[in-house]
Amino acid sequence: MSEIVETAGREELILNMGPHHPSTHGVLRFVLHTDGEIMRLARPDIGYLHRGLEKLAEGQSYPGYLPFCDRVNYLEGIFCEQAYAMAVERLLKIEVPPRAEALRTITAELNRIANHHICLGCISMDIGAYTPFVYLLRERERINDLMEALCGNRLTYHYLRLGGVAHDADDAWLKNALAFVDKFERVIPEFESLIGKNEILVRRLAGVASICGADAVAYGLVGPNLRASGVDWDLRRDAPYSFYPRLSFEVPVGKGERGTVGDCYDRFLVRVEEMRQSCRLVRQAIEKLPAGDIRAKVPRVLKIPAGETYACVEGARGELGVYLVSDGSDKPYRLKWRTGSFAAMSIIETVSRGLMIADLVALIASLDVIAPETDR
Amino acid sequence: MRALAEYLAASWQLSPLGRELLSAGLILLTAIVVFAVALLIAALLTWLERRVAGRVQSRVGPNRVGPLGLLQWLADGLKMILKEDVVPAAADRPLFLLAPYPVMIGVFAAFATVPFSQLLIAADLDVGVLYLIAVTSLVVVGILMAGWGSNNKWSLLGGIRSAAQIVAYEVPAALALLSVVVMAGTLSLQSIVAAQGGWPWEWYLLRTPFGFVAFFIYFTAAVAEGNRTPFDLPEAESELVAGYNTEYSGIRFGGFFLGEFANIYLMSAIASALFFGGWQIPGVTPAEQVGSVWWQALGFLVFVAKAGVGCLVVILLRWTFPRLRVDQLTALCYRYLAPGAFLCLVGNALWIVLVPAGSLFERMVGYGMTAVAAALGLWFVLRMRRHMVSTGDRLDLDLFARGHTRAAFDPAWQARAYGRFRRRRPGEAS
Amino acid sequence: MSAAREYFAAIRRAVFSLADGLSVTVSYLLRRPVTIQYPDRTAQPVQRLLPERSRGLLEVDVERCTACGLCAKTCPIDCIVVETGKDAAGARLHTRMDVDLGRCMFCGLCVEACPTGAIRHSREFEGGMARVENLLVRFLDAPRPPAKPPKKGEEPPEKPAGSIIRSRLPGAFAPARRCAGGPDAKPGGAA
Repeated sequence: MSEIVETAGREELILNMGPHHPSTHGVLRFVLHTDGEIMRLARPDIGYLHRGLEKLAEGQSYPGYLPFCDRVNYLEGIFCEQAYAMAVERLLKIEVPPRAEALRTITAELNRIANHHICLGCISMDIGAYTPFVYLLRERERINDLMEALCGNRLTYHYLRLGGVAHDADDAWLKNALAFVDKFERVIPEFESLIGKNEILVRRLAGVASICGADAVAYGLVGPNLRASGVDWDLRRDAPYSFYPRLSFEVPVGKGERGTVGDCYDRFLVRVEEMRQSCRLVRQAIEKLPAGDIRAKVPRVLKIPAGETYACVEGARGELGVYLVSDGSDKPYRLKWRTGSFAAMSIIETVSRGLMIADLVALIASLDVIAPETDR
Repeated sequence: MRALAEYLAASWQLSPLGRELLSAGLILLTAIVVFAVALLIAALLTWLERRVAGRVQSRVGPNRVGPLGLLQWLADGLKMILKEDVVPAAADRPLFLLAPYPVMIGVFAAFATVPFSQLLIAADLDVGVLYLIAVTSLVVVGILMAGWGSNNKWSLLGGIRSAAQIVAYEVPAALALLSVVVMAGTLSLQSIVAAQGGWPWEWYLLRTPFGFVAFFIYFTAAVAEGNRTPFDLPEAESELVAGYNTEYSGIRFGGFFLGEFANIYLMSAIASALFFGGWQIPGVTPAEQVGSVWWQALGFLVFVAKAGVGCLVVILLRWTFPRLRVDQLTALCYRYLAPGAFLCLVGNALWIVLVPAGSLFERMVGYGMTAVAAALGLWFVLRMRRHMVSTGDRLDLDLFARGHTRAAFDPAWQARAYGRFRRRRPGEAS
Repeated sequence: MSAAREYFAAIRRAVFSLADGLSVTVSYLLRRPVTIQYPDRTAQPVQRLLPERSRGLLEVDVERCTACGLCAKTCPIDCIVVETGKDAAGARLHTRMDVDLGRCMFCGLCVEACPTGAIRHSREFEGGMARVENLLVRFLDAPRPPAKPPKKGEEPPEKPAGSIIRSRLPGAFAPARRCAGGPDAKPGGAA
């Protein structure tokens, strides 16, 4: 025990959590200063998964960068693709056919459910319950099957194309998607019985690591993390894009059900409710699916007029934005990703003071930070 | 055992020295047999755990080594023996090497007093319950040694957590056991079993309301002492990597592992003996049982079945619940379990004084408690049914099902989708 | 008084919520597992369990390839190499058709670009190799004149999916796998 340091009359143990640790979700590293079980400081150290995805864009043609978008965050490929595609389409001023918009919405919402499966499963697993994780993976497997049937791949979908989508969904696929939604809506209550209302889980999450609304806004939290803190903000409703204006849904907001507003349990509940709303959205979008083309006419060799734009979608982790600068050539001049995990990572150091080691694990899981998205 | 030694000594006309050697030899033999039985039970429990975990998680579980994967434990054991036994360079070598032994000794020595049947017991000690409580405390020494000796911060945290936890939970566990001892008036496990009966209302579990509560307190505390989820903080995988056994590998890790699983059986066996009437068969008195080999065999089976159900519950708990936090763990013990156990002890003591043995009131309470327990069981079954019906799954009593053989999509779609390869142009309607 | 009420309410909540959770897991003991026992206990060969759009290993039918090089141009990570040369008479020759499957990210852009359907995804995916260099697949054994773009309705017959890549990656694929329905079980057969 060589690294016991003396600070302000108190002995602190410096503990290195990660980059390889069962609950750091990928390769993340935290430097913990602990006093027994209680943390004085948890400093995140990112960059272990940096792949230079922004720089890579500068060497790719516009359509050629699309498959890379899936890799920005392997859990929400459709959202990343959609943000990028919307940016390019905005610069090109192309109109996406309504059927393509609806298909984008259906796949995006399925993707959101799949992402929340992982998030909720990881929360349960990080506080010690393995079975809920497996159940959610089992349901996610059905989404993966659906996506594979539609897009051709299970995770790195590459489904969107500039000006539309790659493949049309046939009736059998739509029927299967509806069947999944029907089944999944009945699995959610079971999940809540198993773990969501479990007293141990509630005690482990409620009142732990609360983030107040002002803090959440100040640190730039987005998506479910922001809404759990009581800030009612959802791009799908407040800055409508794609097919969302034609669909009706509710935006769940954290109410401090068992503890304080913005605690880990609120983040848990908001995601459970979002899965329900996503099921609603998928069903509505399938019902209202317009007929027609799935791809606008786009030239094979794309030259985009010089200019810059920012396009964002409400991803599974909140606002997922692409800032794109074009110099008139066939390659992006500069591309910048704005991701939810990066902002969520920045708040951990502030919130984690005085928590226990076990709480830090719950906090990381409930913020749904994911290393590839943080590092890009 | 002593009777057997005396009989043999008399029939062989041994000298005093010969007698000593004979009884020493018999003790050694018994120890080896007990150790072997405990090891076998622990090994089979690892199989059960993985199999149950598989089924609970909609998986199949081990199914390749032997029929139903029944020999999986053999393969695992072989793997552990063959693996390199790594000792970290910075470790406190003697502590690190010795740490698994107290854990194993603590658990396996306790098996000496487990009454598998009326006659099948290695040592029916007069102070059986005290011996159990004392000997199982050795486990914490081993875990602390492992935590400190590894010279790893995660291990240290695990060791410290374990010390806090096991020491805390000894209190409610011992108090809950004492509430039964008070009823039976003896510390010998055989006598405690004999004082109960075969029918549920004759068990200490259901004879008084306090016994019922005491059982749950004992069970919770025992799970906590065994470092099982929801109390597996010392090895909390997602927090402490693997806690006190982070640095262990090979057979030394196997020692901890077997100790943990033997402990599951041990706690279920104790619960079964003290609360569930042990080897008692409904309608057969202990006196009738002594004479017949068949009753003995049946009693053994009854005991093993009761303990087996206990093991199953412990395993299911692990695959259902999340883990408590350190402060919640100690709060649960000192705020809820310890006072509860103390109340049970006092309650049972008062019961002995106030309610005459064999009175109508006592019998009525027994029947009433049995009805309450049955009602709770029914509620549980109905909940199960509700979950199953609401998700549209069907009952499948084939406990050894091998899973599906094809993807779970509807057949018509499948037939189309899985047909011959045909290339489509992008955008072409399919 | 309210503290006492809260004390007992906490116990009741804990007991019932935990018992409810337990009832879910116990009920799964009595349900059928959903596992598909890949690879050797499936009803059909695994490739047939995949949907037809599934993007597996790339394969090139050189008899259809016009050596236009569009696939190599669209590939975002340059894992396709197409080269042409001239023979003694000065006619175009297709000299090289390599796909580095070790680098391929299975995006499918080359398949979309191909005008004749020569490059396509198979549904094979078990291409594991001991050395990553072995994943560089050369689809052309010897230089050959490139195919002419076919007229409508006169396309040459398609080779069975996966047959090309199977012959090009020897050792990667296990021989006919044991599976519950036999290697040639019809799709939609009994589970």
